[in-house]
Amino acid sequence: MNFRKLVQRHRGLIPFMTLIILVLLVGINAPVFLTVGSILTTMTDTATLFIMAAGITFVIMLGGIDLSGQSTVALASIVCSMSVVHWGYAAIPLAILTGMVVGLISGLVHVHFKLPSFIATLAVGSVAASAALLLSGERSVPISAENRDTYFFWIVGETLGIPNQIIVGFVVLLVSLCIERFTKFGYWSRAVGSGEPAALAIGVPITQVKVTALVLSGAFAGFAGLVLGARLGSGSPTIANETLLPAIAAIVVGGTAITGGTGSVIYTLIGALMISVVRIGMTFIGVDIFAQQIVFGVLIVIAAAATIDRSKLSIVK
Amino acid sequence: MTNILSVSNVSKVFGAVRALDGVSFGVMANEVVGLIGENGAGKSTLLKVLNGVYQPDEGVITNAAGSLTLRSPLDAEHAGIGMVHQEQSLLLNISVAENLYLGRESQFIRYGKINWKAMHGAARRQLEKVKLSIPPATRTELLSFAQRQMVELAKALILEEEHEDGLVILLDEPTSVLENDEIKILFDRVRTLRDRVSFVFVSHRLDEVMELSDRMYVMRDGKVVGQMTQEEATTAKAHEMMVGRNLDHDYYSSDKRKDIGSDTALSVEDLSRPGEFSDVSFDIKQGEILGICGVIGSGRESVMRCIAGLAPPQAGTISVGGRIKTLKSPSKAVNTGIGYVPQERRVEGLVMQLSVMENISLPSIGQFKKFGLISTTLQKTAAAKWVKRLSIRPPDYSLPASSLSGGNQQKVVLAKWIQAGAGILVLDHPTRGVDVGAKQEVYELIRELAAQGIAILLTADTLEESLGLSDKIIVMRDQKITARFSMQEDEPKQVDIIRSMV
Repeated sequence: MNFRKLVQRHRGLIPFMTLIILVLLVGINAPVFLTVGSILTTMTDTATLFIMAAGITFVIMLGGIDLSGQSTVALASIVCSMSVVHWGYAAIPLAILTGMVVGLISGLVHVHFKLPSFIATLAVGSVAASAALLLSGERSVPISAENRDTYFFWIVGETLGIPNQIIVGFVVLLVSLCIERFTKFGYWSRAVGSGEPAALAIGVPITQVKVTALVLSGAFAGFAGLVLGARLGSGSPTIANETLLPAIAAIVVGGTAITGGTGSVIYTLIGALMISVVRIGMTFIGVDIFAQQIVFGVLIVIAAAATIDRSKLSIVK
Repeated sequence: MTNILSVSNVSKVFGAVRALDGVSFGVMANEVVGLIGENGAGKSTLLKVLNGVYQPDEGVITNAAGSLTLRSPLDAEHAGIGMVHQEQSLLLNISVAENLYLGRESQFIRYGKINWKAMHGAARRQLEKVKLSIPPATRTELLSFAQRQMVELAKALILEEEHEDGLVILLDEPTSVLENDEIKILFDRVRTLRDRVSFVFVSHRLDEVMELSDRMYVMRDGKVVGQMTQEEATTAKAHEMMVGRNLDHDYYSSDKRKDIGSDTALSVEDLSRPGEFSDVSFDIKQGEILGICGVIGSGRESVMRCIAGLAPPQAGTISVGGRIKTLKSPSKAVNTGIGYVPQERRVEGLVMQLSVMENISLPSIGQFKKFGLISTTLQKTAAAKWVKRLSIRPPDYSLPASSLSGGNQQKVVLAKWIQAGAGILVLDHPTRGVDVGAKQEVYELIRELAAQGIAILLTADTLEESLGLSDKIIVMRDQKITARFSMQEDEPKQVDIIRSMV
């Protein structure tokens, strides 16, 4: 069997193999990376990135994109840290709701004014970023240690030696897998991503699906803001800076096609782990922290080029 | 007189279909040659061969200079063959002058930049040839369709300077977007230009072809079946030549024709969509097949899309099962029990990347729930059932829809609507791109569906197919219904239908 056929047949395994190779590469250079402690830290670090990326996966699956992620995370983290003081547990749904509202606005702008999701989410995202600055008075809003332990123990604590963030990440994975595999929305969004005219003729309510995807993405970003805020002990308008590119990189590196239709949150998880391994690995090996974005940029280009059969594209915009 | 362009024994094969079968054809100097035939007779393919879009599999094309190899429209231009496209090919966001000289700008370049004055001057001279008095700097989108057509003609006439003797301009359905008085103007221009240029004129409208052409060829099933001069031509003679083989009832599984139910499934009254169709009314009973005949542009395709919810009507009503429904979107139509089998199967019919199973279950995905969650197991059971019942090949529902042949893909499209429990099916050219052998399977399936009480609205690829399958036929021309036939009471002949069609 020739190499091309072999690759074709086992395409789904490529991201997973790449992850293992990356882990081994870093491990050879810095054996300390392969200890249980380091691996748990890496996974903990991945949780918020994964939660945010899982949400965006729904949008990319449709062939769209959500660029409002990092602003939404920031806004939600502030809403969460400001509201937990007064309302305790209510901060949790409030953070998620904040994200949903941002997503809903993006979605309505996208569908109603027929603007590309790229523009709609970029614009609404900048509104959310400003709102975060205004709301917080351009400062970070601390969450008291007491409140943190009372209301967010399920994020910051450990269970049987495993950091709760990892468990939260797994729950998010299960929820998003459920949405993807067992709901109408999941099937519809794959159909829209693979062929919108066909999906339309089948009777898929396209606008509804598009708005739902953005609302879901917002909800996940809101939740990511909550987790991140709790973990760092404060909400901040800059809390999620420089996370948008890694999040999109995680999705694309995992193998979800940027043009929509194929992929899964499972792959996003693998992609997010790859990003973390590369990031932490670079620190272990001693790559300048400011040079890391270069690596993510290059990774996106390589992964996006590898997941799409470009020979069939006649026009690239 | 000798031909300035001739085609001899040209054939073009697409898969199992001989789109052109030994076609011979010639154009003399200062002549307008008409080309008539039903949809799919091979007119467009012949034009595309002449324009270098398709390369013939057999046969030769020659002009005064000798035999020609046309690999692209550019080659055709070099050989003195210009084209005025049916779907206009001008770019709307640039000026008329830029459109005229698109790709030929180098003649106006002075010192590395375009000399606009020279280009506009040249453009003005071209526009005068077609008597169009507009400033050459006008943005093309500001022109009417008729004006754009004239610009296209002017563009083709630029070739005149390079081909002193023997420019041939191909006019592909030039009248389909024009109003009556605009058609008159176009014909006037063509007649004037005939002193210098020859034309090949293709239209579905027989009266137009007979009016304008000095000589005309009649095509059917990829062959030239007759030739007439303007003096010889009569409508009756043309109709006779256009008509195809006699009906073979067995081929269309007519023996499986069942009694039609008494309940009206779909009733349409005075349906209109300005510019597409007006005052269309018909009823379809349960288990009845209604065929709509008409040429491209008659409005029949638009009626189909309207019933499918893709293009809501501006006036009139659609009732399903006796109740008036507003079908504003395909999802509304689907919820009303209307399934659409589109002409563009690869774009609209199936989600090509998804598996056969998913394609079958998608329209009714909500049915496959177990404990509130969508179950793959239930979907697999359903898909396996359809693969077996309709003998879909290869019998593997996990394959992507794109890996199936045309006929099998069409079975999947039909399966998904039966699975969804559609009571009305809108079949828009259901056998397009389906192999001859597989066609019969599709016919049988359509019959079976009708026998189960599903009401079917059909536009067929050929008249023969319409007659073979339908219980009732309506004919459309110029956006209106021009005739109605019932197969049981007075079975029409193909000639009867063509008479109301063209």
